[in-house]
Amino acid sequence: MSYTMFSAFEFKRKDTYIHKLDPRTKMFMTIVFMTVALLFTTIIPLLITFIITLIPILLAKSVEEWLNSLKGTTILLVFILVINSFIRDLNFALAMILRLIVLITAFSAFFLTTHPDDLAQALIQMKVPFDFAFALSMATRYVPTLAREAQTIMDAQMSRGLELQKGGLTQKIRNLIPLIIPLIVNSVRRALSIAESLESRAFGAIKKRTYLYQLKLKKNDFIFIIFLTLYLLLMIYIKIYSPLASWMEWKFPL
Amino acid sequence: MIEVINVWFTYPNGTIALRGISLRIRDGESVAIMGENGAGKTTLVKHFNGLLKPEKGVVLVDGINTKETSVAKLARKVGLVFQNSDHQLFSTTVEDEVKFALKNLGFSSEEIKERVDWVLKFLDLERYRERSPLSLSGGERKRVALASVLCVKPKILILDEPTIGQDARQKRKLGELLKKYQEEKNTVIVVTHDVEFASKYFNRIVVMARGKIIADGPPNKVLTNPTILEESSLSPPQVTVLSREIAKKINNFPKDIVLFGELLNEIIARIRR
Repeated sequence: MSYTMFSAFEFKRKDTYIHKLDPRTKMFMTIVFMTVALLFTTIIPLLITFIITLIPILLAKSVEEWLNSLKGTTILLVFILVINSFIRDLNFALAMILRLIVLITAFSAFFLTTHPDDLAQALIQMKVPFDFAFALSMATRYVPTLAREAQTIMDAQMSRGLELQKGGLTQKIRNLIPLIIPLIVNSVRRALSIAESLESRAFGAIKKRTYLYQLKLKKNDFIFIIFLTLYLLLMIYIKIYSPLASWMEWKFPL
Repeated sequence: MIEVINVWFTYPNGTIALRGISLRIRDGESVAIMGENGAGKTTLVKHFNGLLKPEKGVVLVDGINTKETSVAKLARKVGLVFQNSDHQLFSTTVEDEVKFALKNLGFSSEEIKERVDWVLKFLDLERYRERSPLSLSGGERKRVALASVLCVKPKILILDEPTIGQDARQKRKLGELLKKYQEEKNTVIVVTHDVEFASKYFNRIVVMARGKIIADGPPNKVLTNPTILEESSLSPPQVTVLSREIAKKINNFPKDIVLFGELLNEIIARIRR
């Protein structure tokens, strides 16, 4: 489970309209989609939001990868469904799940189509200090590595008779110790060796860096941003000024 | 006995790792699986204890289909030691690390004590009993990882790249230990690139390339065959290189020697003649 979930957020090189957009445009896109998802709490508007959020995934030809990321979060989705059904009702629970799916979709649309280096470059041009931008791009770069390592550790411990599904809740949590400790120890070891190799290549020797590539917003970026802005404003307008049409408030009769 | 019948395996990312592997390993054999990086060696041994299930074909361990049982159940019979010991060490003492598998498999406390004592002695780790496994050197950590699997006394012991990062003495010790374990009627399987190690301590060499088995036989047949070595990007053992060079100069000198002792005997016999 863990591996597919992480690999779903892994960048895949493809030649599509979305992949070619500036990272800053895509960042804006993710923020807009998130904001809109947080505006509504009923099923129909969230369903419409979901369909619109799906457009960039379709344009990026990344439906399969996106489905994998959803598959990885199934347990979380079921958990939210159950908890919310108990606390409020099924309609609210379904709406919350839809909202989470929109958030996941918005994030995977960004990470599936943006190379970590481009993300770092975008941050730098947004005046984020180089060290922070670099740390962030390193972190995204190591997510799949970590996921692969988690899988290997799981295999190794299962070969020693570890059964993850065995026992009650406390036992199940205790079962995770043999997985988490090697993962942390290895991460710390790796972090130290990365730091050493960075220093041996004179990381931070020059305060002011120059860059081979500069990101520039192109025509397509502006068009996309205009659409996104209109979409956001429209949704805010609907939320604040126009009472939702009755069919928009439709619920499962319970 | 392990029976692998026409097994195919594809990873989720689409890499076809195994393409129709068939292999039979009898009880008490010592087998070295060799081949270039990415040939599918580790993928194959992960099928032996059920971590991976074949996509097509069957893997039978003592007649039991790995698809119909769990890794934990097979762990009593098949022990798999991973390449990187850091992927499995987590306990505060070496003793606890060794106990982990025994506890998981439900051994009684007397038996646990007995086996821990035996394995620590067998692998010369007694003086580290109370030490943290993480504070040991790389070679020692590898031995602790081996101990943590060997304590189960699996009928089939598999080691993935056991010689990496080991000095000559440790390698020799490891080879002798594995030989000793095999002589107690157990099967020992290693995945390795080390031709010297394989030819010295193993009776059967299985060579893989691009997800297929391209050779299977005793070391002096397999590791002396230039075509096989070339195809699997292995270098011949030094003894073989030397015997080939001698064979160029001296008529009917054997070219297929892999062991130092044999070469020495051959040379001495010719000098005496």
